[in-house]
Amino acid sequence: MAEAAIDTEMTQQVCTQCMAPQSVQTHFCSACGSIQPVASGTDFFSFLGLPRKLRLDETELEKSFYALSRLFHPDYFMGATEAEQRASTERSSMLNVAYRTLRNGVARVQYLLSIEGRKEAEKKAPPDLLEEVFELNMQIEELKTARRLADENEIAGARSSLEDALAGLRAKLATIDEQLVALSDDWDSAFDRGAMPNERESLLDRMSEVLAHRSYIRNLVRDIEEVL
Amino acid sequence: MPVIELSLSGRPKSGRVVGIDLGTTNSLVAYMSENGPEVIRDQSGNALVPSIVYFDDRQDRLLVGEDARDRLITEPRKAIYSVKRFMGKGSADVQEDLSLVPFQIAPDSEQVIGFQMGDRVFTPPEISAFILRDLKRRASRLFGEEVTQAVITVPAYFNDAERQATKDAGHLAGLEVLRIVNEPTAASLAYGIDNREEAIVAVYDLGGGTFDISILKLKDGIFEVLSTNGDTHLGGDDLDNRLITLVLNELQRSTGSGVANDPAGFQAIRNAVIKAKHDLSESGGTLIAIEAGAEFGIQYEREITRVELEGLIGDLVERTLGPCKQALKDANLDPEQIDEVVMVGGSTRIPLVRRRVRELFKREPHVELNPDEVVALGAAIQADVLAGGRRDLLLLDVTPLSLGIETMGGVVAKIINRNATIPASASEMFTTWADKQTGIDIHVLQGEREMVDDCRSLARFTLKGITPQPAGLPRIEVKFLIDANGILTVSARDVRTGDEQSIEVKPSYGLTDEQVEKMLLDSFEFAEEDLRKRQLIEARNEAETVIRAAEKALAGQANGLVDEQEREAISHTLDELRRAVGGEDYLLIREKTKALDDASQHLAEVIMDRAVLAALRDRKPSEVAEG
Repeated sequence: MAEAAIDTEMTQQVCTQCMAPQSVQTHFCSACGSIQPVASGTDFFSFLGLPRKLRLDETELEKSFYALSRLFHPDYFMGATEAEQRASTERSSMLNVAYRTLRNGVARVQYLLSIEGRKEAEKKAPPDLLEEVFELNMQIEELKTARRLADENEIAGARSSLEDALAGLRAKLATIDEQLVALSDDWDSAFDRGAMPNERESLLDRMSEVLAHRSYIRNLVRDIEEVL
Repeated sequence: MPVIELSLSGRPKSGRVVGIDLGTTNSLVAYMSENGPEVIRDQSGNALVPSIVYFDDRQDRLLVGEDARDRLITEPRKAIYSVKRFMGKGSADVQEDLSLVPFQIAPDSEQVIGFQMGDRVFTPPEISAFILRDLKRRASRLFGEEVTQAVITVPAYFNDAERQATKDAGHLAGLEVLRIVNEPTAASLAYGIDNREEAIVAVYDLGGGTFDISILKLKDGIFEVLSTNGDTHLGGDDLDNRLITLVLNELQRSTGSGVANDPAGFQAIRNAVIKAKHDLSESGGTLIAIEAGAEFGIQYEREITRVELEGLIGDLVERTLGPCKQALKDANLDPEQIDEVVMVGGSTRIPLVRRRVRELFKREPHVELNPDEVVALGAAIQADVLAGGRRDLLLLDVTPLSLGIETMGGVVAKIINRNATIPASASEMFTTWADKQTGIDIHVLQGEREMVDDCRSLARFTLKGITPQPAGLPRIEVKFLIDANGILTVSARDVRTGDEQSIEVKPSYGLTDEQVEKMLLDSFEFAEEDLRKRQLIEARNEAETVIRAAEKALAGQANGLVDEQEREAISHTLDELRRAVGGEDYLLIREKTKALDDASQHLAEVIMDRAVLAALRDRKPSEVAEG
């Protein structure tokens, strides 16, 4: 039902200049060539003519970013109608955000989750990290106290243990990123196979959880970097 | 192929677009000639117009540039310099600057600075408009037609209010500002595309009042800015101030009396230290000598070495390195990954600056192009792109500062991050918190810090006319768009009805549209006489061009091409125009010029058709017309 509704919307889209009917993904009117506004609900993948997959060639992505920039940029619509100028700005800004989002592996997963209807995951500590986090907060406090007392020995000690912890956390981040890559591969092959919805759902759930852990650790790393 | 003119007079239909560098110390205008971008010089060959405006309220006399500079010493309170540092600022922002300039600031300068010049008050956009008008005239003279469109450059790190103030200045000067371009980006255009297929370029731009660093990726004619950073309050002026302070302190010690309260003496000192600063870029030592110091009761002369100067300004030069490192970090690059470093702005002539930049990027920076002219040249190139002259180049610039909105507890929620490629947009959903609430206030800020008080307030928007409903029910989608100029516009839509929602904008700094419109009228009133004279000259010039073209067509080429009646009509309008040119009424001249242009339109087309046919037959058009 829902898809049928979208379909009718697609055919209802008409060119702002010559009123010729358009499909939602067209950047330019097929009849008169004028630039078209972005249809509401267009996602970054369809905007760039890409399948909703997670592994993508970043060189190709850059190429298409440059090529589309050359087509959309407001520089080239200075003398155009107001509607075309608006459409050019709209397409350019969408292109810019789409490129920025999709070229980064993590942001790409985050974005996929959002268009697949997932809420932004809360930061969540990985279970195996809970004890470590408690320890870390202690060490951060120790360093702050040592600084207040200007105790050079204590400062050096607290610093070095925090630095060790930081190295460990960075290693964990690397592992998590590997997990994300593996999950991305799984997602793409599920996509290619036309997998059942429940398989896709469970992949999305796992990605969501890994991302939640990731942002938790990122925050920790940032906190430690700040105090160091 | 012969050049085919589209009308007899050969005037381009779209008009020229010039590139303008509106600098803190100097301003200049450039255009795209057949041989590439060129700066426009005055009769004496000077491209630079000192960014100084003198106004005498008693005589209603206005001077700009060199002429105004002479008044800095004789009538210092009537001459404004370094106005760029005041663009888009409120009085609280510039306390430090104000302590070092002799200008009088009008009351009510909290949101827009007002310079008190006798009975009149001028805002920074108005002062800048006088400079722009001067540049516009210079360009109009060269082309023999009025220039009405321009690209104006600003420091990359300029915020929304500072950009808007610059756009307002252009508007006040009678220029349609097609684009605000960032100075370092413009400079990179002028340096051109490297021979290499792909290059990462850092542009270090230390001007009279501002510092920018931009890192770009150049590939296939695309200039993609990866990151930018800077300090809009760091430049040659600050270096001068260090030297001025040195002199003032030494004077204080030796004579026991200050001269800070005497603006003329202050200017004499300022001139002397600027000269010394320039000298020290060439030699290891020089003299700070105050010209005619006795007139101001100043007896002061002192040797100064380059090493001493470096000691005085070292920390300021050091301050430029932080933004450089941040820009590298934001672009995810190490200094070693930078292929080229380009130096822009007069202050990069200072050896210490070059040395520190070389050390940071571990390579010799480019200084081949005149650092004072390179930005204007780049602006001319971008102007050419916008005029439709070329499509091989494309600038993809970024917004220098994050955009955010105020949320609960005075916290700023970022909606567009710094270094996002522009145009950039973001949408946010808003609703009401009380039953039957009909308006929603949105406070927009720029900056990287978390709290409202630490960011720069841009504007307050009020969404008005919301249908009274229970709290939380209305759904208003607000779209924030930073356009290709780096300027914010906000639009809102009621999601349920799809209707545009009306928005009331209160800019935190700068002028409202109404104020700009009013000033526009004000400046016209004030410049009326002057304007009429100029318009008369321009109208006559234009008329002469059309007259010459028509005479030529009638004399040589009209025979047999058009009928007698048409010939008569052309001759008749030609006579009328000749008579009008003899008079003083520029409106009449314009009207008759157009009449002649219209009357000869058909003849022009016939001649052109002939020329095209001739070209197709590979023969010279003159042979056809005469044969």
